[in-house]
Amino acid sequence: MNNNDSRKAAGQLSVAVLGAGLIGIDLMTKIMRSDYLDLRLVAGRDRATSGLRQAARLGLPVAAGGIQSLIEAEHPFDVVFDATSASYHAEHAEKLSPFGTMLIDLTPSRVGQMIIPTVNRADISWHRDLSMVSCGGQTSVPILHAIAKAHKIDYIEVVTTAATLSIGHGTRVNLDEYVETTAEAVRCFTGVRDVKAIVNISPARPPATFRVAMSLLGRELTTDSMHSLVTEAADEVRSFASGFDVKACSVNDGKAFVAVEVTSSGDQIPRFAGNLDIINSAAIHVAESYAADRLSMAGAEKP
Amino acid sequence: MSETTGRDVVPGKPIQIHDPSLRDGHHAVRHNLGPDQLRAYARAANAARVPVVEVGHGNGLGASSLQVGQARLSDDEMLSITREALTNSKLAVFLLPGWGTVQDIKNALAHEVDLVRIGTHCTEGSLAERHLGFLREQNVEAHAVLLMSHMASPDRLAKECALLVGFGATGVGIMDSAGHYLPADVTERIQAMRAAVDVPVMFHGHNNLGMAVANSIAAAEAGADILDACARGFGAGAGNTQLEVLVPVLERVGYQTGIDLYRLLDAADIAERELMPAPPTIDSISIVSGLAGVFSGFKNPVLDISAREGVDPRDVFFELGRRQVVAGQEDLIVDVALALSGARIGDKS
Repeated sequence: MNNNDSRKAAGQLSVAVLGAGLIGIDLMTKIMRSDYLDLRLVAGRDRATSGLRQAARLGLPVAAGGIQSLIEAEHPFDVVFDATSASYHAEHAEKLSPFGTMLIDLTPSRVGQMIIPTVNRADISWHRDLSMVSCGGQTSVPILHAIAKAHKIDYIEVVTTAATLSIGHGTRVNLDEYVETTAEAVRCFTGVRDVKAIVNISPARPPATFRVAMSLLGRELTTDSMHSLVTEAADEVRSFASGFDVKACSVNDGKAFVAVEVTSSGDQIPRFAGNLDIINSAAIHVAESYAADRLSMAGAEKP
Repeated sequence: MSETTGRDVVPGKPIQIHDPSLRDGHHAVRHNLGPDQLRAYARAANAARVPVVEVGHGNGLGASSLQVGQARLSDDEMLSITREALTNSKLAVFLLPGWGTVQDIKNALAHEVDLVRIGTHCTEGSLAERHLGFLREQNVEAHAVLLMSHMASPDRLAKECALLVGFGATGVGIMDSAGHYLPADVTERIQAMRAAVDVPVMFHGHNNLGMAVANSIAAAEAGADILDACARGFGAGAGNTQLEVLVPVLERVGYQTGIDLYRLLDAADIAERELMPAPPTIDSISIVSGLAGVFSGFKNPVLDISAREGVDPRDVFFELGRRQVVAGQEDLIVDVALALSGARIGDKS
């Protein structure tokens, strides 16, 4: 308990990253920069992978025993980021539940409470397993939620395009879950039943910038009414993901069209790979919100 | 067919013709084929002993969308109509991971589909791993095809094909989605693929540069076992390889297709009369699309949006080509058109 208390006194939560792929590597860099989060372990399954080697080079403690490494750690972690694969997440959640750990899921498993920070930030501290949905969900839901709150919408379609270099093996084998989870999040946060999600992986070189195109059908929609809603929602997302850029917003023939491109703000992620940046930035934002909630409940000061 | 080929050759290597008229053709008619149209053509192709008939939305199972076009009929309706008509021919479907899911495949298999093709863009074979694995478990014939294949080198395509066979593909192939190839390009690629895998190899041509039949023959000569072709070339943009031309040409070269020529010509006549307002032609837009290496299916949306934004559709195609846009990225057409027209974001257009 002493150790835990001293951590709280320092105002930081102890954090582990599970999975050392494209997402995990960038999370490490972002966590190391956070005032609220103290990265204590990066756990993968193979010490020889470039992710774990990179973590070790950054001076971070690494382990190769996957979820078991977290369970066997001397002190339980306050927050664990699951950057593995959708099919493993339920098992990870079950194994960590006795420890009271806040699990933030970056896979499209759809097991935990879905969180879109600008939409339902208030739900964070009530749950111990949070789903970050998908990069397409993090990009589209803030916009779609804002439009659907103001207008009656009959149909929504979300088309995500990501560059091949920004899509790791986990996402490739989880493409069905990615599509289903993105659609489910849009349904859940907009209340619109008829939703379709599509994803393209682009082989273009130089790589295509991450892009989410949204089409909506709704009789009341006009370019003017859309424009202020979209601008405001985009500004909110930009508070933690600065590369969020609205490329098109118009209504033609009763069909509204909004296109957003997201560039990476840097760290371990190349500029075009905004898909990795936005889900990771949202996940860090969620972890920091949780830290702030805990601190305010404990009456501690911000560091 | 020997009565019409006019050449006394020893029956040669069998070539399997795969006919996606009722799938790729959907791109030409905004995914709007109705029940009678599907039934009429499927019956005619079946009577001509076309070995495989593929049906569905232009982008395959589950792909009906605003992005590419909403289909008039559901996958279920299309499959039940064609399954009933195809008493001899195999029924095939197409699925692009990201557009449809394993759930869509399960749904199709309930209609006793014989063959499922999983498509990915040229370098993205790994996206098909799950879907091919599922089909292997179900013991269903599963082919994997690489779209927009002109964007990858022969060596890379060969490696992707080997990967796909490892996932369970029982046939692999490439699509010339943009109609960009010349015969030598095809020869080089099919040879590389042929050397890399032991399963049947497939080629799917588009006719933007008038090369579809020649490219298909080049594919056969380089070792391809399966060729795609559509009645009257019914397909995206300038159309596909023209089925009723390819089959007798193949027979003259010395290949065996097992197809009845007269019945095939009848099927093509039915297709022209029943399925399309006019057979695909190599119009100016299609030439530009082929030169630019842009997916042929972009033709209708590019024309629509260019007219709306007051820009030259040829400029739009060349800019899309410069950005290496692939099939499925139809949402970029608006951006490109607006950029060319100099409009600002959010302007009322």
